[in-house]
Amino acid sequence: MATSPEIVSSEYKFGFHDDVDYLEETKHGLTRETVEEISRIKGEPAWMLEFRLRAYEHFLSRPMPQWGGDLNQIDLDKIVYYRKPSEGEEKSWDDVPDKIKKTFERLGIPEAERKFLSGVGAQYDSEVVYHSVREELTKIGVVFMGTDEGLRQYPELFKKYFATVVPPEDNKFAALNSAVWSGGSFVYVPKGVEVPLPLQAYFRINAENTGQFERTLIIVDEGAKVHYIEGCTAPIYTTDALHAAVVEVIALPHSKVRYTTIQNWSNDVYNLVTKRAHAHAHSTVEWIDANTGSRLTMKYPSIYLRGEGATAEVISVAVAGRGQHQDTGAKAIHLAPNTRSRIISKSISKDGGRTTYRGQLKVAPGATGVVASVRCDALILDEGSRSDTYPYIDIQEDDTTMTHEATVGKISQDQVFYLMSRGLTENEATNLVVQGFLEVFTKELPMEYAIEFNRLVKLEMEGSLG
Amino acid sequence: MTAAEGEKAAAAPTAGSSVSRPSARQAPTDLTLSFVDEATVRELAASRGDPEWLLADRLAGLRAFDALPIETNPLYTTYVDLRNAHLAGIRPVPAAGDSIAAAAAGADQRLLPEGAAAFAELGETGATALVVSPAARAEGIVLETLADFAARDPEQFRRLLDGGCTLPENDKLAQLNRALWSGGVFLYVPDGVRLERPVVIRWSVGTPGAALLSRTVISVGEDAEVSILEEQVSSEGGPEESLGQSFFAGTSEIRLGAGSNLSFAGLQDLPLRQVAFQHRSAVVGKGATLRWALAQLGSRIVRSRIDNRLEGDGATVEQAEIVFGSADQLFDLTSYTRHVGRDTTGNLLSKGALTDRSRAYMKGLATIETSAHGTDSYLGEFAMLLSKQARSVAIPSLEIDQPDCRRVAHASSVGPIDETQLFYLESRGLEREDARKFIVLGYLEPVVARVPLEAAQERLRDLLEAKWTAQTGSRPAAAVA
Repeated sequence: MATSPEIVSSEYKFGFHDDVDYLEETKHGLTRETVEEISRIKGEPAWMLEFRLRAYEHFLSRPMPQWGGDLNQIDLDKIVYYRKPSEGEEKSWDDVPDKIKKTFERLGIPEAERKFLSGVGAQYDSEVVYHSVREELTKIGVVFMGTDEGLRQYPELFKKYFATVVPPEDNKFAALNSAVWSGGSFVYVPKGVEVPLPLQAYFRINAENTGQFERTLIIVDEGAKVHYIEGCTAPIYTTDALHAAVVEVIALPHSKVRYTTIQNWSNDVYNLVTKRAHAHAHSTVEWIDANTGSRLTMKYPSIYLRGEGATAEVISVAVAGRGQHQDTGAKAIHLAPNTRSRIISKSISKDGGRTTYRGQLKVAPGATGVVASVRCDALILDEGSRSDTYPYIDIQEDDTTMTHEATVGKISQDQVFYLMSRGLTENEATNLVVQGFLEVFTKELPMEYAIEFNRLVKLEMEGSLG
Repeated sequence: MTAAEGEKAAAAPTAGSSVSRPSARQAPTDLTLSFVDEATVRELAASRGDPEWLLADRLAGLRAFDALPIETNPLYTTYVDLRNAHLAGIRPVPAAGDSIAAAAAGADQRLLPEGAAAFAELGETGATALVVSPAARAEGIVLETLADFAARDPEQFRRLLDGGCTLPENDKLAQLNRALWSGGVFLYVPDGVRLERPVVIRWSVGTPGAALLSRTVISVGEDAEVSILEEQVSSEGGPEESLGQSFFAGTSEIRLGAGSNLSFAGLQDLPLRQVAFQHRSAVVGKGATLRWALAQLGSRIVRSRIDNRLEGDGATVEQAEIVFGSADQLFDLTSYTRHVGRDTTGNLLSKGALTDRSRAYMKGLATIETSAHGTDSYLGEFAMLLSKQARSVAIPSLEIDQPDCRRVAHASSVGPIDETQLFYLESRGLEREDARKFIVLGYLEPVVARVPLEAAQERLRDLLEAKWTAQTGSRPAAAVA
């Protein structure tokens, strides 16, 4: 993105805040009435309201998770569950309200669009306000729009797949999302269509105390191919905000999906996300997932390999600085024969931050001929920082080939010394070693994102070394 | 984490076991013991003539038992399964069994296994043998029942046992032993004594309907050196489950003085109707080394927990554990290694070979505390699945608070028998089944080689081979049926 190269301060660079007049918002806290009101404002079909209410009941009955990060500071009654910043969806940039536009401009959205985008769906608080799809994509039948819009325009397709990958009963925060979801992306790629450029969505939390509950549904039909990119950034606030998204990906036979995320919420956000894909026969699903922001992230992108010959890959990166806990990982659930998975995880903790790798690899009875590998590496940069690794490997087929390796350590002083002997300062040398450590992730990104990501890491590092 | 998914699949009733089951559905975490209450504890203490502090200690254990869930670590709660433990009708063996009144008969030197320095044999009827060779006795080695220890030196006895010794405070089942132990052994190796020959401790249990809860307390002095072979074997012939289950819960509570060395080989070959709980906890002092070599073959359900606390600078633990499972055995094995001192080393290896419907849960957690500069920690969990219904779960975990380490790593792999190895052996003229056997036995050999007595080593090899033959031999028969 278009960030100024001269920025060298470690201050959170996207931490500005605009005062926006909200047209409609619900009261603080979550009640049955809130859920009904959201559905009413959106003018949804009855089945969706029923779905939301079922999810709401489940949310109430389900206890808070007792594992993972510390969730005690979340005050669910203080959160505003729905805000609608402008009327409907905008097709043209000119119609987007000025204040909102200004925020996006500061984040470099239009520029990025000119250069790279196939389409943009940008989320401002809880409603999609800006959305455009290039003409040629529409022509070849690719659907890329806000999820609310998707429900209105493609009711049958939507209903067929919605909540089939992540049911509301999956976990407490999936239930919350299902009850109050708003916004997110709806993507459909028709049979045999290869989308030539990545689809991008830019998410943005603005208002204090606003929960973001976007819901993304991606359906990739047989033989189709798509790369979806999601990047997040949010302003700094002292009151805790909650982000509980659900992402569902359906990769139909012989399709290929890559989903890239760079998560950089400000350090007061609780980011509790359920991301899951169903990989059907001979399809490939890839999660490329980086987490540098937020106060606490709990996110374990999952792939259920349901069809014979499906392939899964997860590359996951986490950076935790002061006051941060990145509890992340990946899951590969092999349910069909001759499926393959590869998980690579890299994490860095510093300034008292904590990283946790939590993963699951499962081979169910009947999934013969599985080949799976997991690799986790963690760097701890200083005393007081912490790293945990909790892999679960559950194998129930006798011809599985599975390997798992994990290492934890500090930065190699030999490497730093070598680089310093070549004229780099200690900070530069350390930064370079860290970038090398993360390269397995960075090299998978489109170039502009790779540059942006390296810049982010550099800022994070300067925070610790400055 | 939804790690519980599919756990139901393992609950499918197993064919062939015609034992009457309790009518109420048993949850995986239900422990159906019916005798654990304050009256039983008080009765036991009274019958043994326990001092006041010991009764209080037992009651503290009972309170902890009542308060704790079966699994306190949230990492592992979804991998607990006691559904095949039907213990409601089980009764503890009569108390006061471990005072070696039969000293004259039990102390006969002829009972000493060849090559051993000392020998204790205990079971549901109490201690049946307790022999220390004259040479070992001359060195100051003490091997005695806990009842004899309490009578000989009440103060040292209290010093070592009061407060639960090294047993983990947060473990329900370890606290069960603390509350209701009715027999046990104490081994003491004085400072500087290096015993060349091993000490053999044999638990001979398996009486249907009986429960034995015991403690083994081991104190190794500074710069001392000793090896121990602990055998857990069947007292009865015949593995038929129709006889009803039996229950054994034993401990090894170990303190290693500075510079000392302990090699502990454990061989568990209890009958298939046995439910066995094991608690092995060690505090390893400065520069001391503990080596575990553990073989798990028997029992319907084994739930084992090992706690290695590397407290002194330069302390080392080497742990190797093998599992050979068949039928519907469940091996639920947890090991905690806590690095506290500087420059400590933990090298842990678990290997499972699983046939039939057997399952192994290998849970390992290495924790590196802030004080543990210079740690070297390795954790390896490996499994070989030899049948379609076998299941392996590995959870090799790390919690690290100190980046200044020599090495921190873990590894895990699961795979079938390597085809290229098979091909090689077959090309040398071996039958395919023999080739498979050699590969599996070779896979388990690292632990076998570390069993101290030659005779015991040979017996373990024989047991493994017999188990292999039994499961492969049963295959054609099943096909005919």
